[in-house]
Amino acid sequence: MTALMEAPVEPRTHTPALLELRGLTVEYGRARAVDGVDLDIHEGEILGLAGESGCGKTTVANAVMQILRPPGRIAGGRVLFRGEDLVGKSAEALRQFRWLNVSMVFQSAMNALNPVMRVGDQFVDAMRAHEKIDKRSALKQAEELLELVGIDRRRVRAYPHELSGGMRQRVIIAMALSLNPELIILDEPTTALDVVVQREIMQQVEALKQDFGFAVLFITHDVSLLLEFADRVAIMYAGEVVETAPAEQIGTDAQHPYTQGLLQSFPPLTGPLERLTGIPGSPPDLRNPPDGCRFHPRCPHCTRDNSALYLRQTTERPVLREVAPGHAVACHLVEERNA
Amino acid sequence: MSQFDPTIDLPLAAPPARVSGRVRVPGWLVLLWRNRKSRIGMLMVASMIVFALIAPLISVAHPNDFNLLATKQAPSWHHLFGTTDQGSDIFSQVALGARRSLLLGFAAALLATALAATLGVTAAYTGGIVDDVINFFINVFLVIPAIPLLVVISGFAKNRGMWTMVLVIAAVLWAFEARILRGQALSLKSRDFVLAAKASGESTRRVVFAELMPNMVSRIAAGFVLVFYIALLTDAGLEFLGLGDMTGTSWGVTLYWAQVNSTVLQGEWWPFFFPGAALAFTVLGLVFLLAGIDEISNPRLRTESAST
Amino acid sequence: MSAVAPLEVRGLTKHFAQVHAVDDVSFELRPGSITALVGESGSGKSTVARLLARLHDPTSGSVLWEGSDVSRVRRRRDALRYRSEVQLIFQDPFDSLNPVKTVHHHIERPLRIHKMVPSGQVEERVHELLRAVGLVPPHEIAAKYPHELSGGQRQRVSLARVLAVEPKVILADEPTSMLDVSIRIGILNLMTRLKQEHDIAFLFVTHDLASARYVADDLLVMYAGQIVERGPVEEVLTAPLHPYTRLLLAAVPDPSKRLHAERIEGRRGQAAAAIDPPEGCRFVSRCPIAIDVCSQVTPRLVEARMQHSARCHVTAPERTS
Repeated sequence: MTALMEAPVEPRTHTPALLELRGLTVEYGRARAVDGVDLDIHEGEILGLAGESGCGKTTVANAVMQILRPPGRIAGGRVLFRGEDLVGKSAEALRQFRWLNVSMVFQSAMNALNPVMRVGDQFVDAMRAHEKIDKRSALKQAEELLELVGIDRRRVRAYPHELSGGMRQRVIIAMALSLNPELIILDEPTTALDVVVQREIMQQVEALKQDFGFAVLFITHDVSLLLEFADRVAIMYAGEVVETAPAEQIGTDAQHPYTQGLLQSFPPLTGPLERLTGIPGSPPDLRNPPDGCRFHPRCPHCTRDNSALYLRQTTERPVLREVAPGHAVACHLVEERNA
Repeated sequence: MSQFDPTIDLPLAAPPARVSGRVRVPGWLVLLWRNRKSRIGMLMVASMIVFALIAPLISVAHPNDFNLLATKQAPSWHHLFGTTDQGSDIFSQVALGARRSLLLGFAAALLATALAATLGVTAAYTGGIVDDVINFFINVFLVIPAIPLLVVISGFAKNRGMWTMVLVIAAVLWAFEARILRGQALSLKSRDFVLAAKASGESTRRVVFAELMPNMVSRIAAGFVLVFYIALLTDAGLEFLGLGDMTGTSWGVTLYWAQVNSTVLQGEWWPFFFPGAALAFTVLGLVFLLAGIDEISNPRLRTESAST
Repeated sequence: MSAVAPLEVRGLTKHFAQVHAVDDVSFELRPGSITALVGESGSGKSTVARLLARLHDPTSGSVLWEGSDVSRVRRRRDALRYRSEVQLIFQDPFDSLNPVKTVHHHIERPLRIHKMVPSGQVEERVHELLRAVGLVPPHEIAAKYPHELSGGQRQRVSLARVLAVEPKVILADEPTSMLDVSIRIGILNLMTRLKQEHDIAFLFVTHDLASARYVADDLLVMYAGQIVERGPVEEVLTAPLHPYTRLLLAAVPDPSKRLHAERIEGRRGQAAAAIDPPEGCRFVSRCPIAIDVCSQVTPRLVEARMQHSARCHVTAPERTS
């Protein structure tokens, strides 16, 4: 059983889809970390993927890059890059694909830098692993990339520990750009960084995107960040996508109770101050998720008062349906309201 | 930390598994049983313990009885392991030797581990001058060459009994363990839960014994098993060389007499084989147990798939 | 307002070798109020909390509890008494509980150490405390081990442990930053309730301005080991004086910024503790309104408006009489 979209959601910009996930399912032993996910990323757009711990967002990224660690495995669905299914490709083909077409910046990637190698040399290594280029040109490119991300090009000779956390993260982003991929996956790139540095990096990524035209899959738990920087946002809960919409609409017209609850969990910095409630309870154990809608045990709209609806909520898995152009929600309540 | 991370460490200090049913099996026992190596090791050591408990009760004769009418006899129903050149029953010797070996090994391991854990962890947590003093003693004991020391002490000690052996072996081996445990405790002491205990007002003694050590059970247990089998081998080795307590009954002594009387040259394999096999079997069991403990403590060494 | 003397910090300074982690910090914690200490990583805010919890000794300055300086206390009995009144909650819910001990153990120990209730009533009190922090059913939770609880539940256990000694002051060192977003509100609401019900003085250390606004009464902003601005929370956030506070406010993600985003200046500079800092304002390299005197004279914390002070030559200049 997969949560399929009724019809592919038409992007407002009508640019071709770069990456399409259809019914992607990933299992870790008995648990389904990702269960029937459909997602589209178009050329040059920033898609934000938001959710809390255990929702499966990092697993989705790992599945796209085909770097799942055993016992994780893709149990079903397709990962289509420009129409070609990546699932089942040979190791060599995947190696080519990675970094050239899609590159990824991991969580706390700044710690992934080799502490005993100079930054420039690590660039050279990464580049020469994927294309034929001599050391001198690679180093020159490295210097240019560093400048692009706002670091003095002389730092190409620096060791990682000589750079601050924010700078290291920028180096990693520059490395992800070095082969000019069409899609960059950023997995919580700014979580460990200060809010000021975070903003600088986000601005840098936006500027680079304007120049190079790559698409971004931005994974984070900080929805407020996405509301400001992403073009479209997809919300994940317990391995499923529960809502997708353009970023402005998510902020003002969130329909799924989980999205609403999530947005409610960010105290406002300006405006009236009211008592918030967050979302009671905790995410489910994915080895044994709740029947029907996975959010129903925590949903304020799931009560026995409306028995017909309650029955659906507790037995039938909701399906992503479009409620407005570009805005899809997987929720029985929303369905009934629109019926 | 994702709940699906297969590299999550499961140390021996894991809390009890909730076993359904009336019997609540301690978590560490469940872990040791599940791992193949430690299961084999436990069974081997357990069977030797059973042998040591029961066999002396069913042996036909006192081990050091001389029966000149029945010397050099091959294994038979009457003498399961045969007899020595003096006519002593080898089965009884091996059976009583088992008791001595297990007791000695356990005592030496207990003493060495208790010393190493207490001193090592206290030194790490307290720091300062206490750490300096204990460290000094650890280094001194580490530097002393073990085997020559053992030979000298057993050569000159008036009383060469089992308990002297226990003391000597513990004295030689505690420092090695202490240094390792001190290192581990040093990495634990700045963890938040230790600071929280300190901020709650816990005394040093309680932090060391009730908060830190329970988190070091894997390493302490591994050290215990290690000392245990080193003690066995050392004790048997010294006796084989004629330096141990030669009046007692033990595997090493039996082997000594077998060697001295050149029994194998005369075609009598049994005075060597049975005590040697008993020793090898026990040590092997302990080695398996140790390997199992290591595997459990370090998931990267596991050869079986994670149970999640 | 209770008559208990507050916890006061004067000129608190902590240097680790040449790193000036905390420099000349002064403030007070009043009963029944939450004071937020906001700063970026490395600004020294966690060190302040740990100094107050006596996990470190200050290099200079004093921590005054009921009038006397506790930072120099050596006798175990006095230290214990202080520890029973001032408690610390840690940031990492996964690390602040002993993995091989039950919830019951964690809460029982402080009860026993400080002899809060007679032996026979310990278990009942443990259950009461669990109920007070919203962990029910208490007898089930008490038997669990930390790895069987969620992050939010573990932080509640930490709160229950801290409440066991009935402290007058709770130092919360980033208690929500490692929790899921939807769980944070629950913990913040709990803190507010405890402050009101038990008249506790809270120090809430955080890097998140929005959380600070949600729970705190007063706000202290730290930069490179110094307090650069302080005042009532609404006042500081609506009319910030120090350029760093303004920078922080501008950096927080805000959906309404989508359409007219102002690029913030990417100047060199770090909020982290300065190493052997020279005279002058530590923010000067990043400051858009710096003037000559800023790199020569270290500004002092000056009250520019009612109860609202800042350490800045430009916005809160010292009045020369």
